[in-house]
Amino acid sequence: MTSTTAITAQECAAQLANIAGEAHTEVAGETVSVAPLDAAQISQILRFADANAISVTPFGSGTKAGWGNPVAPGIRLALKRMNSLREHPWQDMTCTVEAGCTWASMQAELAQHGQMVALDPLWPERATVGGIVATNDSGALRLKYGGLRDLIIGMTIVLPDGTIAKTGGKVVKNVAGYDLHKLMTGSFGTLGVITEVNFRLHPAETEARTWTATAPDALQFAEPLRILLDSQMTPSSIQLRAGKLQSALDVRIATRPEAFDEQAARLRKIFGQIELSDSVNEVWQARQRLFDHEDRVILKASMLSSDICSVSSELQHLAAKQEFEFDLTAQATGLMTVSLNIPADAVPRLLDQLRSRLRTSGGSVIALRIPESIRAGLDVWGCDSNALALMREIKRRFDPNRTLNPGRFVGNI
Amino acid sequence: MLPQSHIDELRSAVGADGLITGESQLQTYECDGLTNFRVLPGAVVLPRSAAQVQAVVRVCARHKIPFVSRGAGTGLSGGALPAAGGVVISLARMNRILEVDIANRYVVVEPGVINAHVTARVAPQGYFYAPDPSSQSVCTIGGNVAENSGGAHCLEYGFTVTHTLGLEVVLPNGEIVQLGSPTLDAPGYDLTGVFVGSEGTLGVATKVILRIVKRPEVVQTLLAAFDSPHAAGQTVSDIIAAGMLPSALEIMDALAIEAAEAAVHANYPVCGGLLLVELDGPSSEVEALMSEARAICSKNGAQQVRVAQSDQERALVWKGRKAAFAAMGRISPNYIVQDGVIPRTALPSVLSEIDRMASAAGLRVANVFHAGDGNLHPLVLYDRAIAGQEELALDLSYRILHLCVDNGGSITGEHGVGKEKQEALGYMFSEPDLATMQLVRCAFDPENIANPDKVFPRTRLCAAEIPGPYTPHPLETAGIAEIF
Repeated sequence: MTSTTAITAQECAAQLANIAGEAHTEVAGETVSVAPLDAAQISQILRFADANAISVTPFGSGTKAGWGNPVAPGIRLALKRMNSLREHPWQDMTCTVEAGCTWASMQAELAQHGQMVALDPLWPERATVGGIVATNDSGALRLKYGGLRDLIIGMTIVLPDGTIAKTGGKVVKNVAGYDLHKLMTGSFGTLGVITEVNFRLHPAETEARTWTATAPDALQFAEPLRILLDSQMTPSSIQLRAGKLQSALDVRIATRPEAFDEQAARLRKIFGQIELSDSVNEVWQARQRLFDHEDRVILKASMLSSDICSVSSELQHLAAKQEFEFDLTAQATGLMTVSLNIPADAVPRLLDQLRSRLRTSGGSVIALRIPESIRAGLDVWGCDSNALALMREIKRRFDPNRTLNPGRFVGNI
Repeated sequence: MLPQSHIDELRSAVGADGLITGESQLQTYECDGLTNFRVLPGAVVLPRSAAQVQAVVRVCARHKIPFVSRGAGTGLSGGALPAAGGVVISLARMNRILEVDIANRYVVVEPGVINAHVTARVAPQGYFYAPDPSSQSVCTIGGNVAENSGGAHCLEYGFTVTHTLGLEVVLPNGEIVQLGSPTLDAPGYDLTGVFVGSEGTLGVATKVILRIVKRPEVVQTLLAAFDSPHAAGQTVSDIIAAGMLPSALEIMDALAIEAAEAAVHANYPVCGGLLLVELDGPSSEVEALMSEARAICSKNGAQQVRVAQSDQERALVWKGRKAAFAAMGRISPNYIVQDGVIPRTALPSVLSEIDRMASAAGLRVANVFHAGDGNLHPLVLYDRAIAGQEELALDLSYRILHLCVDNGGSITGEHGVGKEKQEALGYMFSEPDLATMQLVRCAFDPENIANPDKVFPRTRLCAAEIPGPYTPHPLETAGIAEIF
């Protein structure tokens, strides 16, 4: 328990066991893990925690637990028992799913009716709906289908004072009341606990093909990418991959089988001299593979789509000059993930360089994974928004006692 | 009435030519597109810049004067209705397109820019701005942002919020903040997502960053004539079930067709239920999908299926559809436009129930709807000259909204809650839901001066501002702090 807390972990566990059952309550050091059955139990747990100044971290499967500032919670609120697809009215192309459901198991059920939530997040086999929404993760499909803010149509949340609230609804088009689900998406569990999410669905991409072009310098893709994005083609994903000496551009198109040949011919024309070959679905795993080397620094950079090739190329030149290794993927939406093999003491300078490079066009860099040795004093979020005071006020209104994930988010929210 | 000293402060904020206080001129601003609610404002200001908006809002904040921002006044839920004696901030003069970035597919505009002008500006490069409310030739982007406006093509392209990347906002305390940016996922809460659709209750947008979309290679519009809206509705479900995502799926019933024909001679087939299916994309794909859509229409008993043969014919088809509300004047002295949403599959049963309710009330209801996303626009026809009929019509229109909620839907798909549907919001959401929304409202606008008494069922005050006997702060009770 934290120093301000009057009760011990054992006393806390006893209280939580009364709510969720002994079998679902566990003490590990100073943290009590509890796995509630439903929103009503979460409401009771949060009320107890809030009244006793015990911090709470909502927990899915922990795939992104290291993102943001570290929190040592008194209670780890595990959503693992709330893991079912509650409703799938497939003719309405919507679904309601519990926050603890893994992405892959949700998609497998939706696929039985040829449908999907059109998003390809990291680690779908393990990552949960709640965690993906709380961290606003998204992949290459975002180009065609938008991000979570475009796919979520409603939500159930529990506030630190125990209030259970619904927002949005189960229909795709709906402007009644404030869209609190947009506020919750990407809020890193600092405002409320997400217990259920309603999604709009899309037809699954049953017929899709991928093409890949390769070139040494990422800058060589700048012109074909510009032409492709300015064309009337409708790829579902475009991804740039780059390392120190090599780069590749992947394009995925989903269409009717009879339209593929013509689409391929158009792509070849756009790429001109750069060779384009039929590729495999596995290339879309590239972003996830960047996280495989656990000793590497991982950054999420956001930039204009017209900058992804030039920024990648600049990194290639810098890596050649300063002799470090890196790998990156960048979606045509302008979201880039970079995996760096550099000494810890070189991280702050590179982070600053990248941030000042991107800031002029509204971009940003978040450090998703950094060595513990440099964490103190490093701003992992890089939030320079003049709306920070407003964000703090929203936090204060939702969570006046700073019970939920205190300090994890931007500006120490 | 505003005291003269406040009017003087407003004049110094916007200049003499930016201030309206004469009663006859103020009357222009006493209502929006929902004309049965009228309130005379105390003053109207016409700022030319964010700095002037800021100066006006500061005056309002200083004296706790309620204000409402206003675009073209086309809103259909009374969102721009002034507060009595309050200030109307008309954004009509802030109508510049500030930046166009084709390579990154966005534009930056001031709030008074007309929706259709965005498309006009980027059309030469082959782009368009996707949200297309029926009023798009006159309504403004600022109003679209406030209402999260939709239109006929939401099904594929989404709503105003889908296309809003960022905003500059004057908060109700007069501070200016930038929310979002042309790049995605800026660190922090998605306040852009929260602001869009907040109906003017969280501040005044003074700049909007909008996504633009490449115009598809081919657009084809199919008209299919059915005996009834029910058969058209079943066809919609079948098209969706076949895995297609048309850019638009619209249904009009016999009354709506009659009215639209009378107004713009759209050359619609005479039938009980007209379905419009619009498909767009690469030509090879659209051709394949269109023949599939035709087959589904025929299978469901369409008497006639035709594809608009030219851009002119297609434009006329849409002109008729978009004129449908106003065209009601041709077949009824008065009418109420409603805006409910239901899950698509509830369409047949809800339409039958609306028919039954209309017959029981002795009124006619015309139906025009964005069938693809279940967004109904029942038009309740009545004659104000007949004693009691307006009340009957209003009652019927609210009961239709309740019916939508009872079927798992919403009280508004695109027109907003505004003044008109405040009480209906209380039917759709429970007290804890509304209290949670209020937390956002209070964070942005603790003094409750930005478009007060709208959206939410009754005037709500932020916790800290509830008048009454003194209640100690929790820190004070805990002995941590003195009165502060």
